Amino acid sequence: MVEIMISIPVIFVTIFVGAILTYLIKLIMPKVEAYFALLVSAATSYMAFALPKTESIYKFNLGSFNLMWGNNEYSHLFAMLVAVLGFFVVLYSMDFMAGKVNLGFYYFNLLVSIGSMLGIVYSQDFLSLFIFWEIMTWSSFMLVIYAQDEKFSVGIKYFVFSAIGAYLLLTALVILYTNSGSFLLEDNINNFIYLSSQNQILVIIFLIIGFGVKAAMMPFHVWAPDAYKAAPSSFTALFSGALSKMGIFGIGLVLFKFAIQNTDYFTYFQFALAWLGGITALLSTFYAVFQTDAKKLLAYSSIGQLGYIIVGLAVGTPLSIMSALLLTILHGAFKAMLFMSAGAVYYRTGLLDMNETRGLIRKMPLTFLTALMGIITVAGVPPLGGFVSKWMLYEALIQSNYYFLVIIIFVASTAAFLYLYRFIFSLFLGQEEKEFENVKEVPIKMIIPMLLLAGFTLAVGVVPGFVLEQISKAMGYLGIQTPNWENSVLFSNWENSSVNLMSVATSIGILFVLGAIFLTIKNYRSTRYVTTKDIHTSGEVPTENENLTFAVNFYQPFERSLGSVIKPSIDRIFNLIGKNIESAADYLRYIYTGNGQTYAMYVILFFVVLILFADLMFGFKF
Amino acid sequence: MEFSPVHYIAVPLFAAFLIPLVGKVSKELVKLIPGLVLLYLSYGSIMLFPKGMENPIIEIIAGFKPPFGIALYYGATAAFLVTLVTLLGFVIWLYSYKFIIREPIEKYYMLFMLLITGATGIMLTGDIFNLFVFLEITAIASYSLTAFLRDKDSAEAAFKYLLIGSFSSAFFLLTVMILYTYTGTLNLADLASKADMIPANAKGFALLLVIVGMGIEAEIFPLNGWAPDAYSQAPSPIGAVFAGIVVKAAVYAFIRIIFLFFKTPEVLHFIVIIGLITLIIAEMAALRQHQIKRMLAFSSLGQMGLVILALGIGTTESTSAALFQMFNHAVIKAMLFFAAGYLVFHSGSKLIDSVTGLGYDKPITSFFFSLGALAIIGLPPFSGFWSKLNVLISIASEGEILIIVLILAASVVEAVYYLRIIGKLYTRKEIDSNPRRTPISGLLAMGILAIVIIVIGIYPDVLTQWLQPAAENLLNSEEYIQTGLF
Repeated sequence: MVEIMISIPVIFVTIFVGAILTYLIKLIMPKVEAYFALLVSAATSYMAFALPKTESIYKFNLGSFNLMWGNNEYSHLFAMLVAVLGFFVVLYSMDFMAGKVNLGFYYFNLLVSIGSMLGIVYSQDFLSLFIFWEIMTWSSFMLVIYAQDEKFSVGIKYFVFSAIGAYLLLTALVILYTNSGSFLLEDNINNFIYLSSQNQILVIIFLIIGFGVKAAMMPFHVWAPDAYKAAPSSFTALFSGALSKMGIFGIGLVLFKFAIQNTDYFTYFQFALAWLGGITALLSTFYAVFQTDAKKLLAYSSIGQLGYIIVGLAVGTPLSIMSALLLTILHGAFKAMLFMSAGAVYYRTGLLDMNETRGLIRKMPLTFLTALMGIITVAGVPPLGGFVSKWMLYEALIQSNYYFLVIIIFVASTAAFLYLYRFIFSLFLGQEEKEFENVKEVPIKMIIPMLLLAGFTLAVGVVPGFVLEQISKAMGYLGIQTPNWENSVLFSNWENSSVNLMSVATSIGILFVLGAIFLTIKNYRSTRYVTTKDIHTSGEVPTENENLTFAVNFYQPFERSLGSVIKPSIDRIFNLIGKNIESAADYLRYIYTGNGQTYAMYVILFFVVLILFADLMFGFKF
Repeated sequence: MEFSPVHYIAVPLFAAFLIPLVGKVSKELVKLIPGLVLLYLSYGSIMLFPKGMENPIIEIIAGFKPPFGIALYYGATAAFLVTLVTLLGFVIWLYSYKFIIREPIEKYYMLFMLLITGATGIMLTGDIFNLFVFLEITAIASYSLTAFLRDKDSAEAAFKYLLIGSFSSAFFLLTVMILYTYTGTLNLADLASKADMIPANAKGFALLLVIVGMGIEAEIFPLNGWAPDAYSQAPSPIGAVFAGIVVKAAVYAFIRIIFLFFKTPEVLHFIVIIGLITLIIAEMAALRQHQIKRMLAFSSLGQMGLVILALGIGTTESTSAALFQMFNHAVIKAMLFFAAGYLVFHSGSKLIDSVTGLGYDKPITSFFFSLGALAIIGLPPFSGFWSKLNVLISIASEGEILIIVLILAASVVEAVYYLRIIGKLYTRKEIDSNPRRTPISGLLAMGILAIVIIVIGIYPDVLTQWLQPAAENLLNSEEYIQTGLF
């Protein structure tokens, strides 16, 4: 038997060639391509897990540049996230996408985007990072436009922002290259101090914005809700869960490998970024509350959660970074769960509008369970993983004297309950409707990934140690000392006490259960069964097309009080800029009048101008 | 018979005169002759290419040694560009084979052959008056091909092209006169060695004439008004010829003359700025175009602006990056014109809006268009990325960060209008399925270009090794003078 060497090139060949083969198989044998895609992603994920760390380095030359791929602890952390989510999403897609058109196109781009994400994390040089970054951008763009019908602006907006981000990255990379003469990360890190201070700042800002666009950092988040909504739910799970984390990956790298070298300004960067993250978290939470579309709600929630992560990274203490990285992993899991359960509802009902759906709990109990565990994790309630990460973030913020930011984060976190409640309530709770009588639970291939991810969040809540281990190794790569922790005990240096998360989680869990029992017993007697013709319409007989779902105008008072503050949003500013550029282009277009005489006049005028200003331009006189 | 640089000019010229005669006998043969000619030239190019890269080949015509006789100069730059022209010319012929079904096909192919003659002539000649002649041959063939469809629009476009083109000829002829008056020679190498004999003000005036005269052909702003009309009204393969061959020849001649006679920091600076302005204005103008081929034309102007900008930087890196960009632009824009030709043909309208939903009805043509669009924006792993990267690096090493930012801003605009079309192509819409298919020869032509784009995108070293000598040859005027004069 031939032993297959697991190395990075093999992984890339597997997934990219696999993607092309999937496309071709679709042409020859339809219906097999999904199984093949699953096989490819399973093989890739397996290899990503089994890939030896540190020693698997692969160097080569391309276009007269030295490039290098390798796996370090920091890469490995993100590679795990991509590998697991990638595999789950392909598995979920098998049933979710079954019967849709152009599946070859879908699986091709899905696999390419998974492969390019692995490429980003394994790149040890900026050039291959950028190449994979762009491949990721166009493959995800293709999936965003995959489902659209006669609405184009969605995909374009995503691409414009991605392009702006990518070109800022490119500018920074080119500046770094001219400084160090190499694209290798290592060389650039070592030579960074030789850049002029002005260029250092420029590079850091460009890199952070470039990466931040993908992480939907405000004010560059406006593409995210539409793009997340437009893409098929199965891909959105990956989009929000893993793809946006590539931005976090980059920001982590920039902050702790580059920005930290610029000692004069590092604290300013931290401060600015922490506040950007905080504002992102707060505002997007408010936006999320007002959404009626389940996927848009989740999209804003995703932006908000990434805001927390950015805050965690920016604050820069060991504890905060650990919480940020933990939240990165967790968010990957729970946002994938939530998008998958929203997708499951869509799969069965064809609806994503929360004003239309209701009462699916009995029909889709497992989906409900996933969604419930997802929102508990988002909210940061024990015993699930979200609690651990939030706890660490608060502690870190208080330790580093970001008191005001703590308040903002806390408000955002609390306000998150509003939209989370709305999400689960309007999809699963409430009266059952005739309309949804025949709805069944989704097929097993969609259930498995959802439940496994839910199990993961539970495990992180109870014994965070197994994730924290990899995270602390990753922090080691970034050069950050790790806070002490044991399997479920976090030793904080806050007045030298140690926090046993297990005991905190257990005690809150017990309280929760006790409360539930108490409420059940208390209300058992007074349970009152009502008919569907209850008196809530005050005796008026509603007409048939009147939407009586209680989820309609769920937060109307809240919206009235806050709506005016939030409405004139960043989105509009960007739209205005876009429009102005377009109308400027419209004026410029009329330079080309289409009239031959005008063109002849231009030639003469240009010649005259040259003659008149020859002295100025070329330094001679007639 | 051994292949020599003369064949580049003589064979297609002969074929051009042969075609009308053959047309009396067989139409099929008319279609085949240009293909055979270009196949022969491509084969010859590949044979001759390594030699030209090593040492310039000087071909003396009619036995008179330079500076008295007319000589052909086949140096590394010319080798690179001529090879590009012949190979691309073959692909364009392949595409035309089924695309040009309208009579009079013998005139089409005759003019096409003349265009190839002119373009290779411009790149090869070592004589400034000869250069003028070849420019005229190219221009006249171009005017006629623009008007090939013989409707109102194409006639108008051809007339505009003719009007502006005659300025170009007049200005360039004046330059030749001035240079000849003071030096008494027409050989480029000889002229360059005697450039000191020209008084400063005459030389300055000649510079202005060159900038305007050659600038029209090289499509710099504001002299490029004729271009969008000509590109969009000519048949699609001719659009590809303009973008891939004619303008490349013109830019080469422009830069060669500038580098030989007028290479001062001020002039280079001026070229950088004019290139930048061309790039920005063209990309902005492309943003709001409603016709797909017109948009491609503006995009082409923008790309050439970038090339001119990079040439103006004047370092070896920037020049080789510019040549790389020229190559990529020729290949990619040809593919875009090919695909757009059939998109227009299938949808029956020139408007961008009418391609909506074609991605599902005509998947392969749409795929090629999308591939080309992604490549020309400069997304990896396609060839356009590497040349753009090289251009940016060469500019950054001169410390001009602002120029980089402006180029990339223009690139964002470029991304918008190309992706808008991709978005439209893959938008679901009920359209009547069109029974017409893109013919095999068209698909083959696009397929060849697609393979080039992807192969160079994944492994750019196939090409980059040749760029260095080509760039050095273009920059090194001393070498040109020495080798050109024996």
